[in-house]
Amino acid sequence: MPSFSSAPRRSLVRHALCGAALLATVVFAGSAMAEPKGLDLSLDRPSDQGVFRVRIRSQAAPIPMSRVHQWTVHLTDKAGLPISGADLTVDGGMPEHHHGLPTAPRATPVGTPGDYVISGLKFSMRGWWEMKLAIKAPDGRADRITFNLVL
Amino acid sequence: MKPFRIIIGAALATSLALGATAAQPTWSAADLKTLHGLWIGELGPPPPDPSNRVADNAAAAALGGMLFSDKRLSANGQVSCASCHQPDRAFTDALPTGHGVGVGNRRTMPIAPAVYSPWQFWDGRADSLWSQALGPVENPVEHGFTRLEVARRLAAQYRDAYESLFGPLPDMTDHGRFPLRAAPVGAADARAAWAGMTADDQVSVNRVYANFGKAIAAFERTLKVRPGRFDDYLARVFAAPGPQARLSSDELAGLRLFIGKGQCATCHNGPLLSNNGFANTGVPARSDLPTDPGRAVGVRAALTDPFNCKGAYSDAPNRCDELEFVVVDSPAQVRAYKVPSLRGVAQRAPYMHAGQFSSLEQVVDHYSHAPAAPDGTSEIKPLDLTADERRQIVAFLRTLDERPAPSPKPR
Repeated sequence: MPSFSSAPRRSLVRHALCGAALLATVVFAGSAMAEPKGLDLSLDRPSDQGVFRVRIRSQAAPIPMSRVHQWTVHLTDKAGLPISGADLTVDGGMPEHHHGLPTAPRATPVGTPGDYVISGLKFSMRGWWEMKLAIKAPDGRADRITFNLVL
Repeated sequence: MKPFRIIIGAALATSLALGATAAQPTWSAADLKTLHGLWIGELGPPPPDPSNRVADNAAAAALGGMLFSDKRLSANGQVSCASCHQPDRAFTDALPTGHGVGVGNRRTMPIAPAVYSPWQFWDGRADSLWSQALGPVENPVEHGFTRLEVARRLAAQYRDAYESLFGPLPDMTDHGRFPLRAAPVGAADARAAWAGMTADDQVSVNRVYANFGKAIAAFERTLKVRPGRFDDYLARVFAAPGPQARLSSDELAGLRLFIGKGQCATCHNGPLLSNNGFANTGVPARSDLPTDPGRAVGVRAALTDPFNCKGAYSDAPNRCDELEFVVVDSPAQVRAYKVPSLRGVAQRAPYMHAGQFSSLEQVVDHYSHAPAAPDGTSEIKPLDLTADERRQIVAFLRTLDERPAPSPKPR
């Protein structure tokens, strides 16, 4: 295999890529799928009905490709009080490609108030992914949230 | 550093602008991102396999290489791993389904890309290279061998190499305790002999059998996916050092279809042109073969395989993320098969999991028409590609031909 992977070369390629991208966008319309404009990429925001506020973060940076890894979740009510003991169900996929997640991730509490870890997430290609959480608090309050990730 | 970057960007911009006048295409930002992902330069070293502690051990690879081509590891003395995984055919054969001591039901898969995959076989019924290597040896139509015979072969021919890696082989001189031929699967006589062994003796033989697979896996991990002209083209697009090439207008049109209208890159993405997933693409069933539910059954087999990552013979039973978080019982798994790497695809007809198509033209026709699946639901929709478009996609696929392996350096 050629040794394409040295860091300086990667950096060079990345910058060349930026230059090429800039010019090519001006010249021609693309043929590969690009994510819709105006996607909300915030990873810290209120749930769909405003019941909760949810913050998520990949434990690995950058988000790894084709490797199972973990995310942390911090869950509060809208006043910012942490919610422990909630049930979190994880789902998601790639809307443009009509496929779900390649693995079956699970969320579990980690012990500190409002904190959970999602284990078993894997993204098998670059592009626009959705990560959906269905949240049920111990007092019965429930809501959903969909995060957008562009990898 | 900054002025240097600007110069690079400007140089590339100029070359692209010049290229455009010479009928070389320009790509959108989204295209370039997709293309960069397909480039072999993005392929790092194989992912670690903690379940195999000799995965990257050179002595294990050397032993595995010898075992890989040892025909004595078969019922008729005529079949080795290399009989179907032929080194000069990208480690496949040219047959619709593999021929061992009998005829199998599945197309032989290439090995070098498999090193990067968390799941092995068309249905992903093994979760590591080493557990994969154990299946064909005891399959009655492949090697038709048994694990006791493997252990005896190791003791007779490979004792020193084996024991220096894995410790002492069990003393198998008592044929009452250790039959000549025994396995929990396969022929009735072999299964009966296995059932007569003590649990402890079965475990000691299983351990030898697992180590046999681990040595073969170590060898397989040394096999390399090699770049093709497509990568040289991308090197040119990304102004990377090394060989650079242009593609013909048909090849470029085919590439644009591959990442665009043809939707091929939905599954065939990343530097191996595979997402390592499983998909039902409505591939016809062969009427001469038994019903084949694909991944729906394969995932269950992987979960119950005693040689899986969580099993007693794994070197890291607590580090099995793929198995731990595997999707099970999804309707999408019915008749879903591994998305194969397209590296070198034109060099290894026939195609699909049972060699249903003899040419790339037939494969592209299939994806263009997208017939209903014989079972489960096909994920693909008709593309209605024109004859020209189908021809262009095939032209592009041929740019993935792997460069010949470098000849060994003279000593």
